[in-house]
Amino acid sequence: MSEDCSSSEETNTPTTSISQDTFTTETTTITTSAFNIPPETPSSSSSFNTHLAIQSLSSILTTVSPSLLSQDQDPAFYLLHSPDISSQVSSLLRLPDSGAGDNSLCRWFYDTFQSSEPQLQLVVLRFLPIIAGLYLSRVALKKPLAGFEAVLLAIYAHETTSRAGQAMTVNVPDLSHPSIYHESKKPATDNDAADLNLAVISPSLEPHGTVRSTRRARIVGVALELYYSKMSLMPVRSKIDFCEFCKVWSGQDGDEYKDGELQDDKENVEFQDDQGNVGKESVIKEGRIALPWELLQPILRILGHCLLGPNKDKELIGSASAACRSLYSRSLHDINTQAILATRSLLRLSKMALDPKNNVDHTEIPVTDVISL
Amino acid sequence: MVRSQSADSSEYEDQTPSREVWANGICMKTSEVEAKLDEGNIQEAESSLREGLSLNFEEARALLGRLEYQRGNVEAALHVFDGIDLQVAIQRLQPSFSEKQPSRKGRSRGDSQHAVSQHSASLVLEAIYLKAKSLQKLGRLNDAAHECKRVLDAVEKIFHQGIPDVQVDNRLQDTVRQAVELLPELWKQAGCYHEAMSAYRRALLSQWNLDDDNCSRIQKAFAVFLMHSGVEAGPPSLAAQVDGSYVPKHNLEEAILLLMILVRKFYLGKIVWDPSVLEHLTFALSLCGQTSVLAKELEEIMPGVFHRVDRWNTLALCYSAAGQNKAALNLLRKSLHKHEQPDDLIALLLAAKICSDDSHLAAEGVGYAQRAITNAQGRNEHLKGVAIRMLGLCSGKQATISPSDFERSHLQSEALKLLDAAISLEKNNPDLLFELGMLYAEQRNLNTALRYAKRFIDATGGSLLKGWRLLALILSAQQRFSEAEVVIDAALDETAKWEQGPLHRLKAKLKTSQSLPIDAIETYRYLLALVQAQRKSFGPLRSVSQAGDDRVNEYEVWHGLADLYSRLSHWKDMERDSNALPVARSILSDALKIEPTNRMAWYYLGIIHRVDGRIADAADCFQAASMLEESDPIENFSSIL
Repeated sequence: MSEDCSSSEETNTPTTSISQDTFTTETTTITTSAFNIPPETPSSSSSFNTHLAIQSLSSILTTVSPSLLSQDQDPAFYLLHSPDISSQVSSLLRLPDSGAGDNSLCRWFYDTFQSSEPQLQLVVLRFLPIIAGLYLSRVALKKPLAGFEAVLLAIYAHETTSRAGQAMTVNVPDLSHPSIYHESKKPATDNDAADLNLAVISPSLEPHGTVRSTRRARIVGVALELYYSKMSLMPVRSKIDFCEFCKVWSGQDGDEYKDGELQDDKENVEFQDDQGNVGKESVIKEGRIALPWELLQPILRILGHCLLGPNKDKELIGSASAACRSLYSRSLHDINTQAILATRSLLRLSKMALDPKNNVDHTEIPVTDVISL
Repeated sequence: MVRSQSADSSEYEDQTPSREVWANGICMKTSEVEAKLDEGNIQEAESSLREGLSLNFEEARALLGRLEYQRGNVEAALHVFDGIDLQVAIQRLQPSFSEKQPSRKGRSRGDSQHAVSQHSASLVLEAIYLKAKSLQKLGRLNDAAHECKRVLDAVEKIFHQGIPDVQVDNRLQDTVRQAVELLPELWKQAGCYHEAMSAYRRALLSQWNLDDDNCSRIQKAFAVFLMHSGVEAGPPSLAAQVDGSYVPKHNLEEAILLLMILVRKFYLGKIVWDPSVLEHLTFALSLCGQTSVLAKELEEIMPGVFHRVDRWNTLALCYSAAGQNKAALNLLRKSLHKHEQPDDLIALLLAAKICSDDSHLAAEGVGYAQRAITNAQGRNEHLKGVAIRMLGLCSGKQATISPSDFERSHLQSEALKLLDAAISLEKNNPDLLFELGMLYAEQRNLNTALRYAKRFIDATGGSLLKGWRLLALILSAQQRFSEAEVVIDAALDETAKWEQGPLHRLKAKLKTSQSLPIDAIETYRYLLALVQAQRKSFGPLRSVSQAGDDRVNEYEVWHGLADLYSRLSHWKDMERDSNALPVARSILSDALKIEPTNRMAWYYLGIIHRVDGRIADAADCFQAASMLEESDPIENFSSIL
């Protein structure tokens, strides 16, 4: 990794203060939490940073319209939502050697994330699905990946700092004690907490200066956790990118479960009779990866948002359902019980959501022919 | 929304002649009024209603608006409602209510006046509510939310201490319930997620006198929103927190709490069963790895809701995910009984997998796996490779306890054949590479094993510790100690400090095997320090990442050291104490039944025979030991699993 980085040609970020060593030194020194600053207060320095970022990006992209620099609207917002920029960046990212340490786009992502500008960091996170997607799928192909790794490590370090390395835990409630939403005969006791089931959502974080292969899934998983927490701000296209990579990662097309995951044997037999030629040899897919829980859990949370979140975008729901089917199929191949439970529920819920029976509007007034006062 | 609206309005048109309005005991056909509305004469329509039914201005407007709303003319309805001044109406209503509320005893005095005020209040509030609905249908979601909020603010002003169970006009109560349910929905549709959060909390934590269905719908919608909106809700306001009651601190906690309350309401018979609630709860609890809690919830749901086999199978998934494979297998045995659903593929695969981990269950697992292969048909055809793999694993496991050599070698070659067949169906599954590597290594086909171990590391990008360990052990079995050490060092580079334990242990043993006792002792010392530091700093929150195999217990370290020292002293003490010999012999014979390839056991058995004077037996044992020594790893292959 260090070799790739030292050969990095640094032409387009002239004022950056980050030395090349940053790519390889311990990441504990990198940035403090910046997402807590409200994004609505663009200071002069923030717009300066944004303009710098746009300037350096325009030297990387081939066909940036000059209007990019003279945006009337918030430039960072434009950077995040412009379909033109997104498609250019995406296709550059998808080039075969895009993950190398000397890749100028990776360098731009790294510098932009390190700017500590919340709005700019969102722009980097917008492309995380593609970065993480390509990165994990390319590991087994032995391609140069130091550029991707630097971006992922920067995001990981940011999370480590803002969580102060602490684990994220959940107290699974016990209904025998009263809560704000229900009453219980059993009086509340002082040592409530002791009775609850403590669940670790995300274990504590240690600083990592390089991607050790056994920690790779964790580092990407933590980056995805940050992505999840910003999902309501992400453009739909970014989420669709993510769903598409889930299919690649799973290595399964999951089409068998288009009508849900019914286990009725009769239906299976009928299915076979109708099709006649079942058992089409599925094409070996490039990009299947190991899906340990530290990676799968944030993936499933993101998919849950895509499928069941408040933004009902048809295309997104379509690709999220497809991703879900693939991951369900994969969890069966792995006989991974926790994953089977979670993906099966998502699959069932997405099917229920389409059922008109479940979409009765209870806030509608009853229609009567006789209107009385 | 648009579609249903147009469908609705066409429906009304068919029925237009029968529509009528009632007020003050008078009935009036609406056809005439509707005609005026269609011409755009709101005023005229209003005055004909006021005259015909002797109504005041607001009453007439409210009726007209509702009429237009029902006819599907939401824009026109909006015009009509715009004429109503909510503020004035509330101010007029407020005193009469706030005086009334505190005492229920004073009813007789102002009962009729009370009823009249409530009636007007309900009329005005309904009008504003319909205004919000009209705005919603026009896509003006922010405006709609503000109107809807005005309804609730007004209700809170009128009823300072919440809405009492009695004394409230039904229609007013209905409007309140609908507005409470609508407001968060509107904020959500408008993309104002923080407002939606507080609207949900306001709905559930204030006194609106919601009914069970109404309240449950809001609770479910809130739980889903908490889980999937991607917006952190933050803790509820202090006002809502009662002393000593559980206050959720995290979206997921709050969502799980609400979903559990819904499940409980169902089994108390308060609401009808909603299958989506259980799926949401399943998703939430699997995400936090609390499937044993989920199992408890499932067990409390009364029979009849699901088919018993579905329940057993889902419970089995929960128990297995919680590491309670025995309980899971017992449930699967029930559901796979010939009178239940013996052909359920997922249950068969899970049962076979559980059995493949335990040599005493492996024979049973072979049966499940064979049935799984038969049933991997139709749209489940893609699982055939998995079923074959399970059969291979169960056969391989069965071989390890097989009493006869013939059967053992038969089972072993069968297992290899099956795994080879599985890998042709599951070409991209690296787990199979590892399993083949293990199987070949256990049979001491070390060159083939080595090839698979290398392929496994390549396919997983070196991300799994067990791959590195297998490779090092195979090399050590080939007596290529220095190469094994290179592998261990490479693995150490790819591993974070806390997970390095097993690698250091291997390294120490490598040093021992290479007759470098000083280096070995040094490595053990480091390992001991690591284990002790780990014990101190591991709270319960540091979950172990790779299936628990990265922890070395202190006992193992001492054992390794003891082994090292004993090698140095060449077992001189044992040879002297002849009383221990019969005991040792029977222990070693038992050990060899379980693990016939254990070189050290053969070696010690040989020593015992020699001390006892059975020289021929001793020679046989030493010969077995020396043959095995040429293919012995530094620690058992099964230590990886």
